[in-house]
Amino acid sequence: MGISRDSRHKRAHTGAKRAQYRKKRKFELGRQAANTKIGAKRIHTVRVRGGNIKFRALRLDTGNFSWGSEASTRKARIIRVVYNASNNELVRTNTLVKGAIIEIDAAPFRQWYESHYAIPIGRRAQKTGAEATAEDPLNKKRSNHVLRKIESRKEQSKVDQALADQFAAGRVLARISSRPGQSGRADGYILEGKELDFYVRRLKARKA
Amino acid sequence: MAEQTQKAFQSQIGIFQNPKLTGKKRTVRRWYKDVGLGFKTPREAIEGHYIDKKCPFTSDKVSIRGRILTGVVISVGKMERTIIIRREYLHYIPKYNRYEKRHKNLAAHMSPCFVGVEVGDVVTVGQCRPLSKTVRFNVLRVQKKIVKGAKSFAKF
Repeated sequence: MGISRDSRHKRAHTGAKRAQYRKKRKFELGRQAANTKIGAKRIHTVRVRGGNIKFRALRLDTGNFSWGSEASTRKARIIRVVYNASNNELVRTNTLVKGAIIEIDAAPFRQWYESHYAIPIGRRAQKTGAEATAEDPLNKKRSNHVLRKIESRKEQSKVDQALADQFAAGRVLARISSRPGQSGRADGYILEGKELDFYVRRLKARKA
Repeated sequence: MAEQTQKAFQSQIGIFQNPKLTGKKRTVRRWYKDVGLGFKTPREAIEGHYIDKKCPFTSDKVSIRGRILTGVVISVGKMERTIIIRREYLHYIPKYNRYEKRHKNLAAHMSPCFVGVEVGDVVTVGQCRPLSKTVRFNVLRVQKKIVKGAKSFAKF
């Protein structure tokens, strides 16, 4: 352990160099960064001050992501890191940190949407014959009560075009809002609205 | 918009702008609070569009507690959203029965809701948690400098 979080080694507000008058203390310790990557789940536990435990995620492959405007949260697979405002290196190495923009698997959300609204989202136009099975959430048999509920939800089912396009590709942009190196989880929310426009523009500018 | 100047999307945390809702409603939902202690929250904080996670009026993260001090602005615009204040006081020397002038400088965070603050304005700051290495205070109220002649030809 050589990482310390003290401010005694820094210059004072006036610019004066502070003399060292004591050694490093345990309560000002710092630990190595987790640098959580994408892969089969690997989490180490750390005993911290007070006897409490932190879960240092070293590798994660799934996270709990929420679709805000639909109030639906599902566990989804993390595919890759796409943007990081702080450091491009973290994008190159696919490191999961809080605030990173990632691509997640859209399948759980599409299944939820189709069973909730009975409207296809992001579906490729052809293949009409093969899909009409009883298992398909679009076509399965529903009771009268459920059909009436679906009718009442119809006008709220509109999804933003930018988001619907992502469903067609099977990958949705999301932002990590938990701290994987502290809690051991990579949870977050799906980007929508102005935030989605912001990051889509950034990504397009980078590709160009 | 004009306030998205950083690489990450700037927004008030905890305020969800539901893209489904914006039908007839106004543009963005904005959160603001009353800092207490009789300080009026500026109109620009309520109606503005800036995002500042260290603003005492529009951020849930900083609360004003502890000391409330006043001082004169001596430096503005050199640091992002931070100003330097000078506080003068008299120190008594018992041997000579007299006073000497002393001063201390103080770095304070200034929210974008205070527009047009210049050197020489008197400012009231309130103590908050450490916001950076030297900043522990947040500007709460600005009183413009009183110009004796009242014919303010300052710039132009």
